[in-house]
Amino acid sequence: MKARLLTIAGLASILMGSTAFAEPVSLTLWHMEQPPHRVQRMQELLDEFNKAHPDVQVKQEPQSWGEIYAKAPAAFAAGTGPDMLFAIPDFTTVIKGIDAVVPVDDLAKDLEAKHGFVPATIAPYQYDGHTWAIPAYNMAISMWFRNSALKAAGVEVPKTWTEWKAVAEKLSTDGRYGVGLPANKQLYTDQTVYALMVNGGAADIYKEDGSISFDTPETVASLQAYGDLQKLSPPDSTSWTWGEAEACFASASCGTILQFSVINTYETQAEADAADLGVAPVPHSDDQSKSGTISYSNAIMLTTKDEAKQAGAKVFLAWLLEPANYGRFLTMEPGLFLPVTNDGAKAESFWSDKVVTKYKSQVETMIANSQNGKLFGFTTGKVFPSIGAISGQNVIAESLQKMVVDGQSAAEAAKFGQARMSEIAGK
Amino acid sequence: MTNPRLAFLFVTPALLFLAAVLGWPLLEAVVLSFQNVGVIGTTGSWVGLDNYAKVIGSAGFWNSFGRSALWVVANAVVQTFMALGVALLLNQKFPGVRIARTWIILTWIVPTVVVVIIWRWLLSSSGGMVNPLLIQAGVIDRPVGFFATRESAMATLVMINSWRWFPFTALMMLAGLTRIPGDLYEAARIDGASAMKRFTRITWPLLQPTLLVLGIVGTLLSFNVFDVIWLLTAGGPSQATQTLPVLIYETAFKGYRLSEAATISVLTSILLMAFALLATRAMTASEEAR
Repeated sequence: MKARLLTIAGLASILMGSTAFAEPVSLTLWHMEQPPHRVQRMQELLDEFNKAHPDVQVKQEPQSWGEIYAKAPAAFAAGTGPDMLFAIPDFTTVIKGIDAVVPVDDLAKDLEAKHGFVPATIAPYQYDGHTWAIPAYNMAISMWFRNSALKAAGVEVPKTWTEWKAVAEKLSTDGRYGVGLPANKQLYTDQTVYALMVNGGAADIYKEDGSISFDTPETVASLQAYGDLQKLSPPDSTSWTWGEAEACFASASCGTILQFSVINTYETQAEADAADLGVAPVPHSDDQSKSGTISYSNAIMLTTKDEAKQAGAKVFLAWLLEPANYGRFLTMEPGLFLPVTNDGAKAESFWSDKVVTKYKSQVETMIANSQNGKLFGFTTGKVFPSIGAISGQNVIAESLQKMVVDGQSAAEAAKFGQARMSEIAGK
Repeated sequence: MTNPRLAFLFVTPALLFLAAVLGWPLLEAVVLSFQNVGVIGTTGSWVGLDNYAKVIGSAGFWNSFGRSALWVVANAVVQTFMALGVALLLNQKFPGVRIARTWIILTWIVPTVVVVIIWRWLLSSSGGMVNPLLIQAGVIDRPVGFFATRESAMATLVMINSWRWFPFTALMMLAGLTRIPGDLYEAARIDGASAMKRFTRITWPLLQPTLLVLGIVGTLLSFNVFDVIWLLTAGGPSQATQTLPVLIYETAFKGYRLSEAATISVLTSILLMAFALLATRAMTASEEAR
């Protein structure tokens, strides 16, 4: 009897043990890719991953970039935050500031060895002796135009600010606008203004010691050039976000715009003649010799203190960056998300997408532009926490509005920006 | 039969619920305003009245307060005129008046986000419908940006918000109009009073209690409007439409100065409570005089 009881107890313990072992790790992923087709592609990838990894189950909860800066800290404070969270560099500083992100040094090292990160995509996430997020995709602003419109106007693709202004003036006919540049107090305007600052030698807004370096002759010249071009933009561009600029370009109302990509809008809402869609580097100031741009990668942070969940999340991230899967992740928005890994840039799963195939030359140009990208606050090799608040309050765009809306000079706008940033940085 | 204890017992759950969802957060906000918390979820230390001194001494707070006052007054004037006209019209007897009374609330029930998308599209200078119509009518000679300048941005926001809210005001006024006894108009007509005289001597004075209530409720509702402003202009251009609710949001969630935002919230609440108290007293005095 005793032996039978022991046998039953032994079997039960084995069964219970195996049940406990089989309990999958459940992970919640917050990302900000809200459009339904992106959510659907993400779900397809998650279904595939979950099926192949019964011990790790990942579910997505799409969020909004407009709210995440407020929502994520509140969620972490309430203990309801996600296990993985998409990020851009300045957002990472905010989450790191509340001690909700864990370093991913080992995983970054492994993935670097296996896939090779484009250096500029991981650098903004490496500071204070750690890597704080795994890059997922890259984005870089380029100049978009229609080849036929430039040809009809008898002009070449502009390479300098002077040439760009001349082209924009030529294209400003029949109720059309030669250029569409935003002047809203919003992230898009921060990005487009900074794209000109990079091309005017004003990329560094911090000095080595963390003090602000915004009021410089280079910034003044960049703001002046932007202001001159902005006068040729639609009058409501002071309230534009990314969507309005794309719509203006798709409807052929705007001759040239600065945008990460217009391929999807052009393909679905415009005439979609792939050969007519032009893309080029952002023009540079007359005294610079080559173009740069604003570029930054979106990355994924680990935001769980649970070691089992951390292990599961690492399995998922490693799986996502496998070239066979990675291309399908990037093409959730074809022609917008660019590879962050060397083997990802060659992945068949990326280049075989029908939209990427159709706009191959444009995507190649975008990738080439992204190699010369910089991001405000992340150029000196040191990261200062105040960049989160400077970016969050759109101080660069606010400075531009001093010119465009309040009629101040570029010098006064730069002075204002310097004071605001210094106030925020406390220096 | 009245039983105060039983009545209190019935009211207690509602009071406890209000204390939990309103009283507790308010208390938290007051406590927060005496600290120096930055990002939500982090801790701060006690700083006494520093935040109050900073906020009261800042031009930004008073500028936003001025814009809020302008916003409330402009909305009150525009909505009162629009609503009164519509209410007087709907108070008449004509075929389809019941359908009209129902349809009038359409703009009020449309979600804010939809309202914003509709108006953004209509007012766009590249593809919107309003600019071409104004050009055709000879009002303007080229497209204008309705949110491009300080003055036009505030005026456009007031028009859109009034368009959204006037049906509510109109229905309240209509309810007030239906309470005016018909025999007063009958007697006035027999005495030979003109339509204008009937309006100024009967309708307008007897509508005062309704207008007073609407004035108080409307002011409090208008003052706290955030969604339409944030979604259409985000307080821009160049802070031209940055009212106090927008300033509070920007300070807390864009500037990461949670305690400072709590301070502005507390000061705003005090201002609004003072207004509500004074207005209620005025209303009571007016009722007693009547």
